[in-house]
Amino acid sequence: MNCAQIEEILASYLEDEVSPEAKETIEGHLNSCVSCSSLLSFMKEIRESLADFTEIEPSQNLLAKLYAIPEKKKKFRFNLDFLLKPSLQPVYAAATIFLVVFSFYFFHPDRKYINKYINRQLHQGYSQVEKLYAKAGSFTDNLGKYKDTILTSVKNSKLLNRNED
Amino acid sequence: MIQECLEGKKGAWEMLVNSYSKKIFNMAYQFCGSYQGAEDLTQDIFMKLYNSLSKYDFEKNFTAWLLTLAKNHFIDEYRRTKWEKKNRDDFDDVLLTFETSESPETNLLKEENKKIIWESLNHLSSEIRMAVILRDIQGKSYEEIAEIEHLPLGTVKSRVNRGRLQLAKILQEKKGEKK
Repeated sequence: MNCAQIEEILASYLEDEVSPEAKETIEGHLNSCVSCSSLLSFMKEIRESLADFTEIEPSQNLLAKLYAIPEKKKKFRFNLDFLLKPSLQPVYAAATIFLVVFSFYFFHPDRKYINKYINRQLHQGYSQVEKLYAKAGSFTDNLGKYKDTILTSVKNSKLLNRNED
Repeated sequence: MIQECLEGKKGAWEMLVNSYSKKIFNMAYQFCGSYQGAEDLTQDIFMKLYNSLSKYDFEKNFTAWLLTLAKNHFIDEYRRTKWEKKNRDDFDDVLLTFETSESPETNLLKEENKKIIWESLNHLSSEIRMAVILRDIQGKSYEEIAEIEHLPLGTVKSRVNRGRLQLAKILQEKKGEKK
């Protein structure tokens, strides 16, 4: 076995996990190879040092944060519940429709034609309102003309004269 | 205890934290080498634990299940943030211990080796580092590591061996430079 092959199984040798034949070969190599025997002694030191690493206590601040996790989650859940209230469903539906219409209008390639159509409709609507207003004006004028006739006929009607009898 | 946690019994979660926080925190600290980083990782792990407790299979070993959760998170975070570019905390700050039974010279030598090994852990890949931490620092058996890592026994042994060899070569090199 050369040094590279010995290196590969040195850690297993350290844990006594090699066959007796391999063990004999490794020991033979180690007796004659300074580099590999030095590597083995460093591996022993590493195992000892790693096993000797001190465990440290987590800080009180960290523990407090860990204890608080369920409370934190509950608050988060409450917020979610609030958002999932059935009473908010019409709001979400309206918001969805608004967004669909808005995105249809905003991202439409022929938006200027849509604008023109809207303007036309608005103008038409406005002129119709103006016409209605004018008609309403002429109706009140006509009503003024016939006011006296209407009042006389109402006074003379039997319906109002019944009490005088 | 797990069942009580799931039922939301008072004090059950605190008991769980008391039982496992030290183990997880130390594993995180040994893996990332930063005290602040380890605190953040421990919080992340316990958040994940709280969220996935309902998915725990009661027939499985809880410690192994939790350590698998932690290991996966450490490695994911390592890949995401590339800790290897950051320095580890100074070894003296928290981990230095004094062997009273041995001579000051021996202690000094051991401290020096520990420092080099602590700093060299970042030179190992995340998978190999995790295997070395579980085996040589936490003292787990190869079978336990295979269960935590969901790997064949042979792969675990090979990773531990490669980790030790790499660390030994770094130590050999650094000691050689000093001589």
